[in-house]
Amino acid sequence: MTPSLEARGVVRDFSGFRALNGVDFSLYAGELLTVFGPNGAGKTTLLRILGGGLRPTKGEVRLHGESVDVGDREWRRSIGVVSHQGFLYGQLSARENLIFFGRLFGLDRLEERVAEALVNVGLANRSGSMVRTYSRGMRQRLALSRALLHEPEIVLLDEPYTGLDAHAAGALRELLESLKDGRRTVVLVTHALTQGLDLADKVAIQVRGRFVRFESKDALPTENFEAFYREVVETAVEAA
Amino acid sequence: MSARSIRISGTALGILGLLGVVALHWMVFFWVPTESSMGIVQRIFYVHVPSAWVAFMAFGIVAITGAMYLWLGDDRLDQAGVAAAEGGMVFTTIVLITGPLWGKIAWGTYWTWEPRLTLTLLLWFIYLGYFLVRRSTDNPQQGKKFAAVVGVVGAADIPLIHISVSWLRSLHPDPVVLKPEGPTLDSAMLITLMVGLLTFTLLFLGLFLIRFSAESLDRKLQLREVAGQPQEA
Amino acid sequence: MTYLGQVWAIVHKDLTIEFRTKERFAAMASFAVLVGLLFHYALDVTVVRPQDIASGVIWMTVIFSALLGVGRTFYLEEEDGAMSGLLHSPIALDALFVGKFIANYILVAMITVLIFVVFAGFFRLNFGGHFVALIGIVSLGAVGLVGILTLFSAVSSRTRMGESLLPVLAFPLLVPVVVYGVDATTRILVGRPLSEVAGNVRMLAAFALLSIMAGVVLFRFVVEE
Repeated sequence: MTPSLEARGVVRDFSGFRALNGVDFSLYAGELLTVFGPNGAGKTTLLRILGGGLRPTKGEVRLHGESVDVGDREWRRSIGVVSHQGFLYGQLSARENLIFFGRLFGLDRLEERVAEALVNVGLANRSGSMVRTYSRGMRQRLALSRALLHEPEIVLLDEPYTGLDAHAAGALRELLESLKDGRRTVVLVTHALTQGLDLADKVAIQVRGRFVRFESKDALPTENFEAFYREVVETAVEAA
Repeated sequence: MSARSIRISGTALGILGLLGVVALHWMVFFWVPTESSMGIVQRIFYVHVPSAWVAFMAFGIVAITGAMYLWLGDDRLDQAGVAAAEGGMVFTTIVLITGPLWGKIAWGTYWTWEPRLTLTLLLWFIYLGYFLVRRSTDNPQQGKKFAAVVGVVGAADIPLIHISVSWLRSLHPDPVVLKPEGPTLDSAMLITLMVGLLTFTLLFLGLFLIRFSAESLDRKLQLREVAGQPQEA
Repeated sequence: MTYLGQVWAIVHKDLTIEFRTKERFAAMASFAVLVGLLFHYALDVTVVRPQDIASGVIWMTVIFSALLGVGRTFYLEEEDGAMSGLLHSPIALDALFVGKFIANYILVAMITVLIFVVFAGFFRLNFGGHFVALIGIVSLGAVGLVGILTLFSAVSSRTRMGESLLPVLAFPLLVPVVVYGVDATTRILVGRPLSEVAGNVRMLAAFALLSIMAGVVLFRFVVEE
């Protein structure tokens, strides 16, 4: 079976420093990878490269075994991105935001899709209100439905839990769980150890621009994960 | 070419250019005859015209390297662009100083809205925009691209600006060298002008190469200083 | 037809937001009216004939108001990382430029109409029989103006200097619009035959073409990272 998403020796330099220093992994359809790592490990850079927003200095990203390039717009069609920013316009309603992004993707049956999407994230009754009146949790659910509107097979999540209270985080967790339908491939970058580990099939720990661990969750001490994570990071930082 | 040979040829051209400047000034002050209608002040023309030539040629280099930098993304093209722009701005400034000095005596005023002078002033501001935009981004890569865009749009626009500002009647002396029936300039004057053009071109190329190699050294140094210290992306 | 759909999405989104907030329109409109008011006190119309200076005054007001409004166009995309959202979508980056250009053009056109009405009142100008020609000249000149401003506002909004950099970058390049636009407008206002401005129209068209092409080709280098 061909992996649905692969990174092969991905290196990225920003003038003067190396943010990614050779990242390799393969993910198969239906898998969820959680990437943990301290600040400055290059996690956001990795997601931007996987999402086609940034070109690697060296190495390549492959979708279904085929190498893709930043200019490739088909690549962006198969990817949905959620970050701690929502990419939403406060002066547009939830519905208008989704319609706008739907038009950029050239989607058919747009009205229907948008209506369904809003029901799925529980925002149907507020769909006409301006997004600036939304709470943080509602915005995040809307951002998720924006990212899923074009039914991407790959979903990239960058710190989706930032700024959410326990209740909103719980609602988001349920939605993220529903992403695991066996077809989608998901990469989740987070600091939230418990929530990240909970959903993961595979786990990576990224330090200084490379994966120092990349394993199936079963192979990790999930009981005492926090201590394990600290030890891995400290060892890697000392070695570097 | 290796970095070393670029440095050596830059220095050689620079020295040749400087010797040329000395020779040119000797010719201007002691050798060339005084032009009858414009008088002694016309002698500044042997510095003014070659500077103007270099100012615009340098912008041509800025635009071409800028377009190629956007296309290929090779950092050396940007180094060449910024080296040419720095030289170009210096010579543009020389044009803007020598022009009014001459104008004060020939036309009785330091500044007139004479088209070529106006165009040079606008060129100076386009160069200024080029440098401002480079320095005002947090991500240096972006500053380089923005500067290249300024160079390319500027070069495409300069002919239109030239036509616009020339549209009103020109006060500038009519061309005396480049005209259909051949130069009407006295041969000694023509020789002096040619020496001026050659000298300033050599001087510019020397400065350009020296600046280019200094720029690449600077970038290597920056890379070395931050190597192995990843930061938040 | 996804391309046109994308252009339309941008135009529709920008104008909807503008219609709701009226931020840029309000700033540009009050600027224009206040400038007209200040010009009234700054210029002694008993000494100079209004129709001789009106075209220069009107054009400069159009250019400064456009600078004010178009300069804000990419700040809309700063909010909540919207620009990243655009870059993650399959939008063609030249479609993004064209969409932004059209939305800005519509905004500038509305302000220009306002400027003409206000200045006609303030300076008692008579546009006479050549009103259509006047609209034609200004609309054509505004294409080049808005094209250059849209491209360079994308540049300036991504620098530390922000909007204060925009005039330094754009004004030297806008000289052809001022020279030919003002001249043609003056001739029309003093009632010269239209054949006199044919050359101006050609130059304004050439500049408009240059500015659109520059935007379409170079815009992606400005927004891509």
